[in-house]
This record gives sequence, C-alpha cells and structure tokens, in this order.
Amino acid sequence: MSVTTVLDLQQVTKRYGDFTAVKDVSLEIPEGSIYGFLGPNGAGKTTTIRMILEIIKPTSGTISVFGRPSALEVRERIGYLPEEKGLYKKMKAWSIVAYFATLKGLNRREAKKRAYALLERYGLKDFADQKTEALSKGMGQKVQVLAAIAHDPDLVILDEPFSGLDPVNQQVMEEVIRDMAARGKTILFSTHVMQHAERICNRILLIARGEKIFDGTITEAKRTIPRRVRIETDSDIGPLRSLEEVVAVTAIDEEGIPLGAEQIGGPHWELQIKESADPDMILQSCFDNGIRLRRFDHTDPSLHEVFVNLVGEGAREASYR
Amino acid sequence: MKYAWLVALREYAENAKTKGFWIGLLIFPIIIFMSFQLQFLLDKATPTRYVAVNDRSGNYMEAIEKELEWLHKRDIFRAFGEYAKKYSKASSGEKSQKIDFEKVPAVDAEAMMDQFSESNREVVQQFFESGGIEQSLQLMEPMLVKDRPEFEEPKYRYRLVPMPEIESPNDPKAAAQEMKAYLKGDEKITVDGEEEELFAYVQIPEDVAATVVRPGAPRMPTGEREGVEYWSTNLADTDAKDVVERAINAELRRAEYVERGVDFSQVEQVEKTYVPFVSLNAKKEEGEEEVSLADQIRQWAPVGFVYLLWIGIFSISQMLLNNTIEEKSNRIIEVLLSSVTARELMMGKLFGIAAVGLTMLGTWIAALFAVVFLKAGPEAELANGMLEVLTSSGLLPAFAIYFFFGYLMYAGMFLAIGSVCNTLKEAQNLMGPVMIIMIVPLFTMMFIPKDPNGTLATVLSWVPIYTPFIMMNRAAADPPLVELVGTGVLMVGFTFFVLYLTSKVFRIGILRTGQPPKIKELFRWMRS
Repeated sequence: MSVTTVLDLQQVTKRYGDFTAVKDVSLEIPEGSIYGFLGPNGAGKTTTIRMILEIIKPTSGTISVFGRPSALEVRERIGYLPEEKGLYKKMKAWSIVAYFATLKGLNRREAKKRAYALLERYGLKDFADQKTEALSKGMGQKVQVLAAIAHDPDLVILDEPFSGLDPVNQQVMEEVIRDMAARGKTILFSTHVMQHAERICNRILLIARGEKIFDGTITEAKRTIPRRVRIETDSDIGPLRSLEEVVAVTAIDEEGIPLGAEQIGGPHWELQIKESADPDMILQSCFDNGIRLRRFDHTDPSLHEVFVNLVGEGAREASYR
Repeated sequence: MKYAWLVALREYAENAKTKGFWIGLLIFPIIIFMSFQLQFLLDKATPTRYVAVNDRSGNYMEAIEKELEWLHKRDIFRAFGEYAKKYSKASSGEKSQKIDFEKVPAVDAEAMMDQFSESNREVVQQFFESGGIEQSLQLMEPMLVKDRPEFEEPKYRYRLVPMPEIESPNDPKAAAQEMKAYLKGDEKITVDGEEEELFAYVQIPEDVAATVVRPGAPRMPTGEREGVEYWSTNLADTDAKDVVERAINAELRRAEYVERGVDFSQVEQVEKTYVPFVSLNAKKEEGEEEVSLADQIRQWAPVGFVYLLWIGIFSISQMLLNNTIEEKSNRIIEVLLSSVTARELMMGKLFGIAAVGLTMLGTWIAALFAVVFLKAGPEAELANGMLEVLTSSGLLPAFAIYFFFGYLMYAGMFLAIGSVCNTLKEAQNLMGPVMIIMIVPLFTMMFIPKDPNGTLATVLSWVPIYTPFIMMNRAAADPPLVELVGTGVLMVGFTFFVLYLTSKVFRIGILRTGQPPKIKELFRWMRS
C-alpha cells in the first residue's frame, strides 16, 4: 500500500497503579481516513487519545505520529478537541480561536484572520467579538471545534465531538468532519453513539475494558456477525428449522435481544443462515409452509449489534450510559 | 520557550483586561492621593470647636484664654507663611534649592516639635507686635506675585466662649448635669449672634488648690471625682483637652514658683537652655559618623518595601491560583497540554502573571512619587531627596531580587495548590496554613529595624520562605556578609527546589479530577 501511516501504536499499555486503563493496544491509521474509536464510557478511549497527544505517557509500548515519537514535535499538524469542553470565560470567541492557533505555530496576524474566517463560515460571525461566557453551550462547543482546527491540521483528534449538540449541530459537526476528510485530512474521533460512526467512519476501532476488540472497516465489522433473517409470526416455525440453509433458530424479543432458554419463544425469531444462502429462499419457504409473516427483515446488522455481539451483554448496558 | 512566551503573553493580556487588575492598579494611587488631600480637607472641614470654662477658683481663666489665643495666632502665622511662599515670585520661577539629606541631621520628631513651638512663641509674638499681617503684606508686596487671592485668616480651631446661663453654676455636680444638655446638642450656645454647639466644658472647682498633687505627699484616692473635669461627647479629639490642661498646669506651676519666692522670668530662661545632642554611627567613615536624615530614610524605607513586597507577592500569587483553577475546572488544560508541555505552560503562567504584578508594583511606586511631586512645596524636595537616597542605597536592586525569588517561591506553591484543586473552595482549605505561614513577616516587620541583626532577625533570615522579607527588612543595617550570601544562596536553591517539586505536582495534578490528593500521594508524585 502506498498510503502513508499517520498514526502507529504498538502494544500500548497504560496502568494507574493496579488499574489497567489501556492494555496492549496496537493500531495503524492510514492517511485520509475517518477513524472512529468506539466503546462504552471508561473503555479507555480518552486515555488512548491522551497518550497519542503526549498529554500522558504510556506505561509501555510505542506511539509514533507522522513518523515521530513525540506528538509535540509535530504539534502544528495536530488538532485536538477534548471530551470535556471548556473555554476561557472572559476571552472573546475570536481571540480564543486565534490563541490556540498561535500555540500551534501560526503567527498572530494569520491566526486572527483565520479565526474570523472560520467563525463566519460556521455561522458565528455575530458572536466573534463576544466573550465566550455569553455564548450558548452549543455555540461554545462550536468555537472550541474551530479552535481545534484553525491551524488547518493534517490530523484532527476529536474526543466525543457530538456529545451535548442538538441534532442540527450534530449535522454541522458531521459536515465539518466530512469537509476535512474531503481535503485529505485524517480524522480520528471517539464516540459511544454508534449511528454517527456508522454514517461517517470508514474505519473503526472497537475498544472495551481497555482492550482492542476489533479494528477494520465497517463492512469487515459487520461480517463478524453471521448472516441472519428476522421474522415475526404467530405460526409454528418448525418447518424452517429443518431447512438446510438455516444454521440456528433463536427466540428474540422485539428489539432483537435473544430470550433465555426458559422463556417461551415467539412471535419474534432470528434465523442464522449460511453465508451462501439467499434470504429470498427463506421467504419462499415461509409461503410454501403457510407461515403467515408480519415482518421479514434481512438487513445488515447495525454497528450497534456488531458491538453488542463482540463485546457481550455487559458492555451493551454500558454503551447506553 | 516560544510556547511558554505565548502562554505568558496571553496571561498578561487577559489579566490586564480584568476589572480587578485596574481596580488594584488605581486604588493605591487614589488612596495615597486621598490621604494627602484628606488631611487638607479635614483641616478645612473641621468646624471651630467651642469650649466653655466654668472656673470657680478664678485663677485659670486668663491662662486658658491666652493659650487658646496663642494657638490661633500661631495658626495665622503658619498660614501666612505658606501663603507668602506660595505666591512669592521666587517659587513660581526657579526651583528652590535642593536639600542634601546626607547633611540634614536625624531628628527625633517629637523633640523637634517641642523645640520648634517654643522658639516660635517669640517669633509669633514679634510678628503680631510689629503690625501683623497688614504690615507684613506691605513689606512683602514687591516680592509677591500680583495675581493672588486675598490672604484669608484661618478660622479658630478652639475658641473660648462665655458660660451659658445655668441655674446653679456654683454647685459642681448640678452644673455638670446642666451642661450635659449643651454638650449633647439639646441646647445651643450663642456666639456672635449665631447658634452653635458646645464642644467641651471644663469645670474647675473652687477648692482645686487642695487637690493639687505634689511629690513627697502622695494623696490617697478618696473615691470622689477630684480636680478639673473635662466634659465632651468627642473624647477621641484630645487636642482641646491637652491645650486646656497645659494652660492650667503652666499657670499652676508659675504660681507655685512665685509662692516659693523664685523669680519666674529666671525659670523661663532656664527652661529654654539646652545642650545639642548628636547621634553617631560607629560603623561609618570618619567625618561622616553623624546619623543623617538619609540614614533614617535608609533605615525605615525597607519597612515600606517589605510591605510592598508582601502585598505584591501575595496578590499576584492569588491571581495565579485563581486562573490555574479556572483552566483546570474548565478542562482547557487538556487542549493546552496538547500544544505545550506542562513545563512550558507552568513557566508561561509564572512569568505572565509576574509581569502583571510588576506592572502593578511599578505603577504604585511611580504613582507614589508622582503624587508627592505634584504637591508643590517642601514635600517635593522631600520626595526628591528620598528618591536619591533610595537609588543610591542599593535598596531598589535588593527589592527587585527579593521580589523575583520571593514571587517564584510563593507562586510555585500556589500553582501546585491550584493544580490539585478543582474549585476555589477546595483551594481555600489548603490556603489556610499557607496564609498563616505567610503572615509572620508582617508581624515582625516593625520590630526588625530596631534590632536588625538580633536573634529573631537572624534566625528568620535563614528560613528560605522568609528570607526575601526579613533580609529586605534588614537591608539597611548592613547584615554580615556571610548571612547575606548564605541566606541568598539558600533562598535561590530553595526556590529552584520548590519549582522542581511544583512542576512534578503540576504535571500530574492538573489532569486529575475528583478529590484533591492526600499528602501521601503528593509525596509520591514529587518523588516520581
């Protein structure tokens, strides 16, 4: 592959006393990708990001950013939006954006120009000269995102960029990410909301309890779950069990969660089918056997399901926190 | 270092914009200016105070009247002196001659005042005997500028008024009770046709001679009120009482002399004789041993500097604490740390805030001299002289050095505290002990100049956190070189040690959320 690796982590571990926050995580992020860090709260996403940025040092393992061992050496090429958002209350919006840009190596005049341009572009022109304490939470967060990208970094790291935003502004945030990706920038962001990742990421890292669970494209992720068909019916599904293409039949509830063995099944069922099987064949078989369907669903599993499948029941709870 | 500079620049710019900074900057000059101005205003605004004397013995009325009259004449004389100086052609033209403070002998302020007013007594009397204001104005006319307001006599400070008509002036107890109404303002006295409030009432009983205290004949207290009674509702202003008391006792003594057959004019002569008394400093070069006014300034100026040092260090360290906590509680710190190292951030903050503090201190010192200079007259010469003495004495460089290290030391501690706390409230708990430690130099400030190389001063000098204050305090007294260098080295070493520990605590603490660490944990961070 001719694509350069922007970020390379090798067996990175971070321990706080007896507690292991991140364990043996290795990963490579190619240039130009939109990379999602997915995992429940406390999974080690923020710790990993902090280590990448050299805010904290890993206990063991190596990290290289743009081929350098230290992120601070290439600070002008990195932009960062932390998970917990905050701004200097008494500073004006433009001056905060400009200040962070100068800390990334931009000269003061250029920084000021960029700050105004960005604020105007993302609809904050009228607030550029206001103190940040006068801004709403959403606006403040936008200002902070702009502060993170004002110096036009090649690698942007966003920790939970969608949290605290209303749907409209989540949309804007997605646009910002897509804009940058379109200009060849590499974006790494963490989230625990799978839908965002599913919509905009081309690669994801699944992490839980400090350990890497999956790393790859979305399609690859979905393939980790066997193909399945979900049906809803009051009829006896006995005939389907005997089909050659059907590997297993599980009783599930309305939301697709498998029921325990002691519970009585129906009306929702999940049929695991062979990789080669055609779902239409199952449908045909239902008609043939007089099984009256209220629902037939053979869509790909969502990332959320992949996640639940990979991480297990415990993490599923966590992912909704 | 470039990034530390950027951080410092922001700290300076943002802090210089705050209201607190401007209030701090202006309040001090305003206070100084006001205290100058207030003195002047107070003198003008204080109304004439009326004193009534009920002298049943009949011996002292005249003496009191004379004393108050003399007081007033002296006021007129002084006011006229200032008037003449203000409007003389010389003062508006060339500058008056500079005073060399090294040559002006140090004086005990109180003794000087006594001598001055005594010798003045004759001058004042002569002035009024030879025609007073009118005559003097005529004589001085050619030397005064044409464009000047009329001379206005100052009003009486204390004025004797006749006793109001009361029912039983002869019965001391009843009279005092009756006079209470006047003192409390329920009844008014009439002066020159106008109603005025009585300020003080003095009651001299008929048998006052029997209550006179004499050496060798101790009197047992009878439990009754004896002697002269001074009644007033304002007992804070003791001037009126002092004047009356002085007049009565002077008259009493005069009578006593006469009774014993001593010639009183002889006594007066004798009382004005004295031998000159000079203080000498054995440490100084031959020929210059005389303790001059400059020496006194040098001796006491450090106290002022210690005070400035303390206020300066404390107020800006506080600023540092506040804004570290702001960054921490807002989580701005994380963005900062993705751009600068913890050390760069710390240095930037230390120096940015130091610059804020220096701006404030510089403005204060400048304002102090500006205010003094702006007031024309002898004060300007005084300020000039003081400035010269200070610049030549090495006190200013000492101040700069002790400020620098003292600031770094305390700012380091405050920064460490700020980095482990999430809220100002948490920080205040930790600040308590630091405050108690810090307040010590303020207590010792006034004692140390009296015994600058004594045990207390020496011991405290060797405690690094007190070195800047105590050594500044002792600066004028030529502390032994060993101590000067030794404590200096210790202070610099300790400062670096504090900053080293601070950088350790800061790096870990600043990212930490939740409860402030326990002492044990802090030590672990410091060792890491």
